[in-house]
Amino acid sequence: MTSTEITYAWAINHAMDEEMARDPRVVLFGQDVGRMGGVFGVTRNLFEKHGPERVRDVSIVEHFVVGGAVGAALGGLRPIAEVQFADFLLVAGDESFHKLPKWRYMHGGAFTIPVVIRAPSGIQGGVGAEHSQSPEGHYWHTPGLKIAVPSTPADAKGLLKSAIRDDDPVIFFETRRLYRVKGLVSDDPELLVPFGQASVRREGTDLTVVAWAGMVPEVLAAAEMLAAEGLSIEVIDPRTLVPFDWETVAASVRKTSRLLIVHEAPLTMGPGAEIASRAADELFVELDAPVRRLAGPDVPIPQNMALEQFCFPQVPEIVAAARELIRW
Amino acid sequence: MSDQDRADLLALYRQMARGRALEDRVNALTNSREFRGFFHPGRGQEGIQAGVCSVLRKDDYLLYAHRGLTYLTAKGMDPVRILGDFLGRVGGSTGGLGAGTVHCVDVENGIMGQGGTLGSSFTLSAGLGLASQVLKQDRIATAFFGDGASARGTFLEAGVTIAAWKLPVLWICENNGWAVSARLTDVQGTDDIAPRAAALGFYTEVVDGQDVRAVQAAARRASEKARAGQPAFIEAKTSRVEGHYTGDVQPYRDKDDVAQAKERDPLLLAQTQLIELGASDADVSSIWDEAVAEMAAAEDRARLSPEPTGDRIFEGLWA
Ligand SMILES: Cc1ncc(C[n+]2csc(CCOP(=O)(O)OP(=O)(O)O)c2C)c(N)n1
Ligand SMILES: [Mg+2]
Repeated sequence: MTSTEITYAWAINHAMDEEMARDPRVVLFGQDVGRMGGVFGVTRNLFEKHGPERVRDVSIVEHFVVGGAVGAALGGLRPIAEVQFADFLLVAGDESFHKLPKWRYMHGGAFTIPVVIRAPSGIQGGVGAEHSQSPEGHYWHTPGLKIAVPSTPADAKGLLKSAIRDDDPVIFFETRRLYRVKGLVSDDPELLVPFGQASVRREGTDLTVVAWAGMVPEVLAAAEMLAAEGLSIEVIDPRTLVPFDWETVAASVRKTSRLLIVHEAPLTMGPGAEIASRAADELFVELDAPVRRLAGPDVPIPQNMALEQFCFPQVPEIVAAARELIRW
Repeated sequence: MSDQDRADLLALYRQMARGRALEDRVNALTNSREFRGFFHPGRGQEGIQAGVCSVLRKDDYLLYAHRGLTYLTAKGMDPVRILGDFLGRVGGSTGGLGAGTVHCVDVENGIMGQGGTLGSSFTLSAGLGLASQVLKQDRIATAFFGDGASARGTFLEAGVTIAAWKLPVLWICENNGWAVSARLTDVQGTDDIAPRAAALGFYTEVVDGQDVRAVQAAARRASEKARAGQPAFIEAKTSRVEGHYTGDVQPYRDKDDVAQAKERDPLLLAQTQLIELGASDADVSSIWDEAVAEMAAAEDRARLSPEPTGDRIFEGLWA
C-alpha cells in the first residue's frame, strides 16, 4: 500500500471519508460541517460524497451536538460529532461529562456508546480565552471516556479510524496548530493506530520527556538542540491519554532515570500532575532527579497573539528544563 | 358505547392499576427504609403514562421521567426487574447498580433509560429519532418530562433540531404545576408549555391528563404525526397527589390543593366511565386485585436474587 504526504487536517478528513464509505451507520454532524466543509476545512467533500442524510449542519446547539450523538448511538448509529472549538464542549457539560461517559454504566452495561466527539483545541491565532484551551485533563478526570491526542498526520488518521470503530465514547482532540502540518500517511483503509500504545518519537538515554498533541513538535525541536550539546532526550508521545500506555513511559524512565512532562493545559491540576504522581509512586527508586512539569501558566489565554505565546511551553524553556534535570 | 370501548378502557385501567400497585410496593419499601433512596411517586399521573404507552409499538423508544413507574410496566417491562432495581439486586435491570433514582432499562421493549439530570431526554430523544430516520426504522422516540424540566435549555436546542430534521419524536409534558416546592406560575411566565413547542414547529395537543381515554386519543394522533415525520408534543394537565418524594409532607402546599388533586384521580374517573360502559364493580375490582397480587409476587421473585458484591462497581464501564 502506498503513502501520501498530506496535512493533519486532510488525514482526519480521509479517516472520516473512509469510515463513512465502509460503514453506513457512521454519520457526521456539527456546525458548518456540511456544504462549507467545516470552519477549518476538515470535513470538505464529505457532504457531497456521503449525502445530506449522513452529513448534517446544526444550529448553535452544543447540548444537542453531544447529547444527540449519545442518543443516536443508543439507536444504532456511530456518530461523529464536531464542536468548532474544544472550549465549546464545556457548553455541553451535562452531555459530555454525564451522558457520554455514564449512560452505559448507569444502565448496567445495557448499551454501547460508539460516539466520537471531534474537538479542535489549543492556542493558535489570537482567538482568546474561550477558543484556545486544551481541556483534555477535565475529561481524563471523568471515568468512562477514551481520549485521543494525536500529534502527527499518520496518527490523526489511524487513531480517528480506531475511534470510529470503538464501541466506547472517544473525545478526539485535534490540535489546530497542526492542521497544516504535513506528513506521510498510509492510503491503506485498514491501517489503524491502536489506542493505548505510546509512540517513542525519539530515542535517548539522559531524560524522558512525555508530551502529546501540539507540544510534540516543540519537544522534538528542543531535543534536537540538546543533541548538539551531547544530551540525549527520549521523547514519548502517549497518543491516547485513556487508555494510557504507562508501560512505555515506565520503561523509558527506568532507562533515563529522569522525567519531564510537557503540556499546554494549565499547570495546576493539569494532566501532567497525574503522570508525575504516578511516577513518584511507582518509579521512586528509579529517579535521579525530581519529576518536573512544564505547562501552560495558570491564567486565561489572552487574545493578543504576542501574549498568547507565553501561554504554552516554548522550545527555550523546554531546553532549559531538560538541562537542569540532566545536571541535577 | 360498544363492547370495544369497554374492552379498551379495561385495558387502560389495568395498566394504571398495575402502575399504582407497583408504586404502592415501592412506597412501602421506602417507608420501611428497606429502600433508602428517593422515590418520586406518580400517584394521580398514571393516566398519562398508561394512555401514551398504549399507542406505542414495542420497538418505539421510551425515555421516561422520575415520577412514577406506570410508563415502565405499560411499555412492557417486567416488574420483577424494576423491583430488583429498587432492592439493589443483581436481578434488577441494572444488574445491581440501581436503587435510588433508578436507571431502569429494557432495550427489548425500547426503554432506553433515565438520566439523573433533568432535561437530558430532550437531546437523547432527538438522537434516537435521528437513528430511526437514518436507519429507516419507522420507530418513534418518546420522552416524558415535567413542567419544571421543560425550562431546561436542552428543550430549545433539541427542539429546534428535531423540527429542522423532521425527526420522529414525541415529547410528553406531564404538567402537574409543581417542581419540588416551586409553583409553576411563580417560576415560569406562563402556565402553558405547549405553545413553546408549537413555536419551534411541533404539532401540539393539550389534554386533560386525568382522563386516560382523552390521553390515548391525543397520543394516537400525536404518535401518527411523529411517525410520519412531524414532531409532536403533548401537554397533559395533571396534579401531583403526593409530595415530591415519598416522605415529603409538603409544608409549602395548601391542604385544599392536595384534596382537589385526590378527587381528580384518573383511576376513579376511569372506574366511573367503566360502569357507564356496562362494566360491573366486580370487573373493576378484580383488575385491581390482580394487579396487587401480580406485584406482590413480583416482589417475592425479586428478593430471590442476591445483592451484588463490591467488585460489581468495576464491571461494565467499557464495552
Ligand atoms: C438538572 C437538574 N436540576 C435539578 C434536579 C433536581 N430535581 C429533581 S426532580 C425536580 C423537580 C422537577 O419538576 P418537574 O420537571 O415539574 O417534574 P415533577 O417532579 O413535577 O414530576 C428537581 C428540581 C435534577 N435532577 N436535575
Ligand atoms: Mg412538575
